[in-house]
Amino acid sequence: MNKHFKKRQPASVRPLTTAFLILVLVASSLSLAQAGRAEVKPAYALVNCRIFPVAQPVIEKGTIVIRDGLIEAVGPAGKIQIPEDAELIEASGLNAYPGLISAHTNLFLETKEQSQTATPEEYLEALSQPAEPKEFPWLQIVEKIKPKKQTVEAYHRAGITTVVVAPHEGIFQGQSVVLNLNSDQVSEMVLAQPWALHINFTTERGVYPSSPMGTLAFLRQKFYDTQHYSQHLQKYRQSPQFLKRPEYDPFLEALLPFVIDKKPIVFQCNNLEEIKRALKLIKEFRLNAVLTGCNEAWRVSQQLKSASIPLLVTLDFRPPASSVYAQQGQAIREKAEKEIYPANASNLAKEKINFSLTSFGLNDTNFVKNLRAAIKAGLPADQALRALTIEPARTLGLDKQLGSLEPGKIANLILTKGELFDEKTSIVKVMVDGTLFTYEEKGQ
Amino acid sequence: MKIKNMKVNRIKPGLLKNKNQLVFLAALLGLTLLGIYSFPLPAAAQTEDRTEVVAIVGARIVPVTGPVIESGSILIKNGRIADLGANISIPSGAKVIEARGLVAYPGMIDSYSWLGLEEISGVRATVDNRETGRINPQVKAIEALRYDSMHIPIARANGIVAAVVAPSGGLISGQSTLVKLDGWTNREMVIKESLAMIIELPALRRGRGEFAGFRGQQPQVTTEKTLDELRQIFEKARMYEKRREAARKNILLPPPDFDEASHFLLPVVKGELPVIFSVHADKDIHQTIKFVQEEKIKAIFYGVEQGFKVAKEIKEAGIPCIIGSLYSLPPVWEDGYDALFLNPVILNQAGVKISFSSSSASTAKDLPYHAAKAAAFGLKPEEALKAVTIYPAEIFGVDKLMGSLEPGKTASIVLADGDLLELGTKIQKVFIDGKEVSLENRYTELLKKFEQREADK
Amino acid sequence: MREKIKKTGLLLSLLVFFLSSASWLLAGGDLLIKNATILTVTGNTIPNGDVLVINGVIKQIGQNLTAPAGVRIIEANGRYLMPGIIDTHTHIALSGTNEGTDAVTPEVTMAEVVNADDTSIFTALSGGVTMVHTMHGSANVIGGTNVVLKLKWGKPSEELIVKEAYPTLKFALGENVKQSNRTLLPGRPQRYPATRMGANALIRSELMRAKDYMAAWDRYEQQKKSKNPPANLLPPRKDLRLETLADLLRGKLIARCHAYVAPEMIEFLNLSREFGFKIGAFEHAWEAYKITNELKAAGVGISVFIDSWAYKMEAAEGIAYNAAYCTQKGILVSINSDSGERIRRLFNEAGKAVKYGLTQDEALKLITINAAKQLGVDRLVGSIEVGKQADLALFSQHPMSAYTRCEMTIIEGDVYFDREALLKERAAASTKKGGLL
Repeated sequence: MNKHFKKRQPASVRPLTTAFLILVLVASSLSLAQAGRAEVKPAYALVNCRIFPVAQPVIEKGTIVIRDGLIEAVGPAGKIQIPEDAELIEASGLNAYPGLISAHTNLFLETKEQSQTATPEEYLEALSQPAEPKEFPWLQIVEKIKPKKQTVEAYHRAGITTVVVAPHEGIFQGQSVVLNLNSDQVSEMVLAQPWALHINFTTERGVYPSSPMGTLAFLRQKFYDTQHYSQHLQKYRQSPQFLKRPEYDPFLEALLPFVIDKKPIVFQCNNLEEIKRALKLIKEFRLNAVLTGCNEAWRVSQQLKSASIPLLVTLDFRPPASSVYAQQGQAIREKAEKEIYPANASNLAKEKINFSLTSFGLNDTNFVKNLRAAIKAGLPADQALRALTIEPARTLGLDKQLGSLEPGKIANLILTKGELFDEKTSIVKVMVDGTLFTYEEKGQ
Repeated sequence: MKIKNMKVNRIKPGLLKNKNQLVFLAALLGLTLLGIYSFPLPAAAQTEDRTEVVAIVGARIVPVTGPVIESGSILIKNGRIADLGANISIPSGAKVIEARGLVAYPGMIDSYSWLGLEEISGVRATVDNRETGRINPQVKAIEALRYDSMHIPIARANGIVAAVVAPSGGLISGQSTLVKLDGWTNREMVIKESLAMIIELPALRRGRGEFAGFRGQQPQVTTEKTLDELRQIFEKARMYEKRREAARKNILLPPPDFDEASHFLLPVVKGELPVIFSVHADKDIHQTIKFVQEEKIKAIFYGVEQGFKVAKEIKEAGIPCIIGSLYSLPPVWEDGYDALFLNPVILNQAGVKISFSSSSASTAKDLPYHAAKAAAFGLKPEEALKAVTIYPAEIFGVDKLMGSLEPGKTASIVLADGDLLELGTKIQKVFIDGKEVSLENRYTELLKKFEQREADK
Repeated sequence: MREKIKKTGLLLSLLVFFLSSASWLLAGGDLLIKNATILTVTGNTIPNGDVLVINGVIKQIGQNLTAPAGVRIIEANGRYLMPGIIDTHTHIALSGTNEGTDAVTPEVTMAEVVNADDTSIFTALSGGVTMVHTMHGSANVIGGTNVVLKLKWGKPSEELIVKEAYPTLKFALGENVKQSNRTLLPGRPQRYPATRMGANALIRSELMRAKDYMAAWDRYEQQKKSKNPPANLLPPRKDLRLETLADLLRGKLIARCHAYVAPEMIEFLNLSREFGFKIGAFEHAWEAYKITNELKAAGVGISVFIDSWAYKMEAAEGIAYNAAYCTQKGILVSINSDSGERIRRLFNEAGKAVKYGLTQDEALKLITINAAKQLGVDRLVGSIEVGKQADLALFSQHPMSAYTRCEMTIIEGDVYFDREALLKERAAASTKKGGLL
């Protein structure tokens, strides 16, 4: 190619070509910078679809108008005027639902699988290193995410349009972010940053705390320390004279908004006892809390009912190692995974406890599979839908923008061929922030 | 030349000066010889007692292989039971041991222990039961047996007179030995120097079977694979012997290089030295039975936690089973909380020959309580008693020597103030091969020492 | 075929687990046990006796008792009824055992990590155990606070906790704390203390720190109450570690100290005198027989094994006569299991004490009333007396016999282990397809 170019270009023309190239580059960069503004999203009108608004009863044959990423109008076919600049999407035979929200995922994070692949030598090598605690209350997980197009697509096919990406290491794990799965650009995806501080009942290895009771004492001590720190800071601000200056503590600084100013804290509970332990801490320090995981929530339903705390219930049915079902041999464990844990959500529903469902611990395929199993185990389909739309929206404090198909809300919706949770159903179109994604029907 | 002549010249006249002196010398020699035969010189401390005649009188006698004698006597001569019964004649001069209120039992035999191989289990320097490496048929437990272990007198004081001391670890752990719990050296304790080869097959894995901290790197070795490996090892041993035989017969043939494993496994593959297989899961027991039959070797099973599931098969194969310690939880929860206790009961009822073991050094004295535990769950008390006396004797081929109180058998007898298998029973006397052994042990020594503190006040 | 039997059996055991949590299906705390050989422990043995339990409390003990309608009747047929066994040293039913990173962690609370799903609870019930003092392990000089539980299998964790028991703080001395039986990893330094003298020095220094902490709070309180509290008055930082040690010094907690060799116990007794804290018992105390005078004078009891010894150097001079000898010297002795396996034959362990010098009645006390006294619950349990909670165990033979087995375990009048029912269940599962077990 170079040879060819050399042949053609006489020496005198080269500076001109360079100048031209520079011009093109500048122009295109300018246009890129203005991409957001320059690019115009079409207005859409979805017509003749069966609409599940969630906040209202089902509309058998209706129209949804979307403009500039927001829902302009929703209603029965006759009642809604279709704007002339709207791109018509024929949706007869299709169902429209609000895009599903998974309020707890570890999407787009690079997880270290070291414990899975270490050799005995590597393991001992790791053990010999001086252990350091891994606590990140200040971590903004949005800085760590690396979105991938394939993952976005996969989640679309599961019907999910909004996710919370939560940190996943340590006891004080860090702060999560709410994302709309509208592209693979972080800046475009962020809905709310940060959302909450995440705490997990896990342990450190080789350093304090290395046991469940150590973790509880550690949490409690940190909460007390935050209160004391805040007291000290306040007093110092009011009257610093003769008062010892509070020592700057980045850990406690990170906790102030959550422990003192009551921003939301999410406790990850991996078994029924951790739910009880979380409730105790929440009550003691009057925290604004949400519980996630909750795979054994049905076993503590009375306490959850009276505590009235938002629940993010996982659809991961694997019995935790501490469970009675996991200590009596493989057969009982498998039976529990197939029959007992899938009934968790339906049992909560029977107790009239509000909850959201999440894909935490699962990939997109297993999420769909397990969701169906939960419904089969007795969770009413409409409650399942609410648990993936309006409930998580409320818990995230985004119910004014998401969770149902209502005018003014963000245009996140999915179009399905078939009832949403049925086996043979496929998702044909997904809209996120008004951007339309079309998917071929997968042969199921 | 000179000296020789001188010698002859000196001695000869002095000795045979006259016929009378010769007669005197001959008579002296004769008397000496007579004396030697009538009054044997004590060679060592043990043999002194053995020639004594001892009579245990008035005891309740439990022979094990015959009906209980409510009140009777046992006559001991030369270390053997000369006679026993309700009314036997006791020669004058016999040392009489008054045993009214006591029960006489044959001494117990522990079918698997680490007595003498382990002092303090947490201190490696005192532990010799586990060699490194997988294939160690060449190691012999007798060669490491510490005869002055503090655990031996303790076990003995509870009525245990003999024990199998076994190496463990790896696949082929080594040669176990059968010893009596009395002797000034390990060699003096030997009943059978090389009793059986110990081979350990994979254990039943409870839980996830993970090495704490990292998963999946330790491949779970199956019994099937292990038996395949053994097949090859045995085949190699046979080949080795064939070539050695051929080389022996034909000087032109070079003999194979010394192969340690093959050499020491020869008695096993020839069917001379039995193997104690430590085997646990029902499927594994089934496979091992097949293996034993194919390889034509003598076998005893040890552990056999799921033996109850294949009891009929074990019975048909005629393989005796040494029950592992009952101080354990059932390896498989689904088998039931009492599976470990019911196991020997079911095996026994199916006709399998069972015996109990302590599987320990520091709690070897608890042998009778494992038997009683099985009795608590349905084993007939007489069978429980047999499983610590005559059955192990039969299993180890020493039943002509011990295991029951019968004339002709060795006088290894226990005098107890109650049921031998009961927790509260106190052993009053123990005889091993006719010798009354001391019941002093570490426990009694330390107790006496500190009781002295009170006395010193 | 066996798979199907297994599966049915599993279904049934799952069912049993669920049903046991549905208290309406059980006797609901009312029972009449008839014709038992009643081993009251604190009184005479009653042959052919009856025990009436109403609302989980022993209402009547006698002969030919009658029960109100609807009360479940258990025919003992001469079998032996004893108080439920109490194990004063275990680690079962907990989500963790040791916070082994620091040598001093009194702030950890075992009561917060009770795991009622632990199948060891069932294992213990199958051996007649109704109550346990389950503890922090012995990895640290000062471990954490312990908890006493009733083994109500199938009930939620909070219902297991026995609030009336003495609150205890775990101390440990000797080899475990020194980590002397561990291989040190390169790059990881030896943790302080590495010697017994370091362990005692550590206790002393920590208690002195606790005293300072208490003084700081006292000063704060005083200043706050004063007429003109200073403007810069700030409360001291609440330190959970020192709070717990302060509670020990205030007498709100009693120490339970894991100690093997005699000098450890003598020096810990000295520490308790130096700082004025109470000792509930020495755990394991293998050399207690060497210092019966000191223990008697201090009024401190021991919680020991009968003959599990020689596993560490510090257990090399343990003698099986320890428990019996110390009992005879007037020391309060209990036998413990410290094991999820030994717990189900704790009654056998106590039975061995007869060989070493006690009567069967005295041996029985080692796992009942003595244990109850050490835990501070002897008003409630530990013997069969009118007014006490109906924690009972039924045995086929005398519990001190090697031939006995536990047939039924009852807590507050509810049956938590029933061998007969279990066997029926198994028979039903196996007769469906035939088979031995």
